[in-house]
Amino acid sequence: MSGNQLEVSMYRYNPEQDKFPYMKKYKIDKPARDIMVLDLLHLLKEEDESISYRRSCREGVCGSDGMNINGKNGLACITPISSVLKKDKIELRPLPGLPVIRDLVVDMTEFYAQYEKIKPFLQNNTTAPEQERLQSPEDRDKLDGLYECILCACCSTSCPSFWWNPDKFVGPAALLQAYRFIADSRDLETVERLDELSDPFSVYRCHGIMNCVSVCPKGLNPNKAIGEIKSMLLKSKKNIITSDGTN
Amino acid sequence: MAYDNNWVIWVFLFMKGSLIWSIQRYSSLFILAYFVYFVFYLLNATDSYHEWSLFISSFEMRAATSLTALLIILHAYIGLWTVGTDYLTKRTLGFLNKGLSNQANLIRGIYYFIFIFSGLLYLGVILYIIWTI
Repeated sequence: MSGNQLEVSMYRYNPEQDKFPYMKKYKIDKPARDIMVLDLLHLLKEEDESISYRRSCREGVCGSDGMNINGKNGLACITPISSVLKKDKIELRPLPGLPVIRDLVVDMTEFYAQYEKIKPFLQNNTTAPEQERLQSPEDRDKLDGLYECILCACCSTSCPSFWWNPDKFVGPAALLQAYRFIADSRDLETVERLDELSDPFSVYRCHGIMNCVSVCPKGLNPNKAIGEIKSMLLKSKKNIITSDGTN
Repeated sequence: MAYDNNWVIWVFLFMKGSLIWSIQRYSSLFILAYFVYFVFYLLNATDSYHEWSLFISSFEMRAATSLTALLIILHAYIGLWTVGTDYLTKRTLGFLNKGLSNQANLIRGIYYFIFIFSGLLYLGVILYIIWTI
C-alpha cells in the first residue's frame, strides 16, 4: 500500500445477494486534511454507490450514524479519522449485537422496544398549572448528564449484557432515560417506574463493566445512572420519597 | 416479558433483582470475613493439635463453617445461573450453530442439573464432615 493511501476495510452484506457477510477492502487517497469518518464514507460511496449507511445531521445531534470504528462504537460524523487510524487502516462494522439490515445499517427494533418499555415521558396526573410545571434550579440540575442522550445506541450495543439478553435487559441507553424521569421532580410515578425495573434482568444484568461510559459520544455516564437506580431499588419503598414530597 | 421456559430459573423470576444482588454481595462479604478470621487464627496459632481441634470443633466455628459453605453454594448458584442465562440461550447459542440454538433449553437444563447436583453434593459432604467428625 502506498504511503499516500488509506485502507478501509468495510463490513458488507446485502441479504438479496450475499449468503454471508464479508469484509471488503477499499483503498483511497489520503485526504489533504483531517476529515471525519462520515466524510470518508461519502468519498467511498462516490466510488462504490452500493455502500449503505445511515446519516442525517452530520454533526453529532441526530445519532443516526453510530457504527463500530476500529473496534469501538462511535458516531462517524464526529470521529476524526486521525483519532482512529491504525497504520493507515480503518475498519468499519455495524453496531454489534443488532441484526444487520444491510452493510452498516442495523435493525434497531429491540433497542427502541426497551426505550418504549421505560415510558420515556413525564407522568404527572395532578392538574396542570396554567403555564408550566416549575422546577427549582437544584432539581433542574439533577437532569444534567441525563437528558442529553441522543439514542444513537452506541452504548447499548457495546454492552455484552445487552447482546445476550436484548429482550430482557433494558440496556444503558434506556436505563439512562429511565433515571432521567425517576430523577425528575415533576414526575410522580417514581415507585411504579422502579417496580417495572425490579426484576432480575432489567437493571441487575448490568455488571458495571462501563463499556457504555467508554463509548458514549456525548460523554454521558449511563453506569452512574444505573448505580442510582440500583441504590433506589435497594431502599425500602417506604423510604422513596416521590417528587411531590409524599411517601 | 418473555423468558425462556426453564424450571430452574422459575425461582429467580419471583425474586426481586435487588434480593439476588444483595445475596451475592453480602454472601461474598461473609465468606471474606470467615476466611480472613481463619487465616488470622492460623497465623497466630500454636502447633498444638489439641488447641486446633478445640477451635475447629467449637459450635460457633462449626456453625460459621456450615453457613460459609451454604453461602458459597448460593453465591456460586447465582453466578452460574447468570452465566447460563447469558451464554446458553436460544439467541446466544444461535451465534454458534442453529442446531444448538434449537436445543438451548435442554442444554441449559443439563447445565443447571450438573451444577445444582454437584453443589448439593458438596454441601452434603461438607456438612457431614463438620457435624459428624
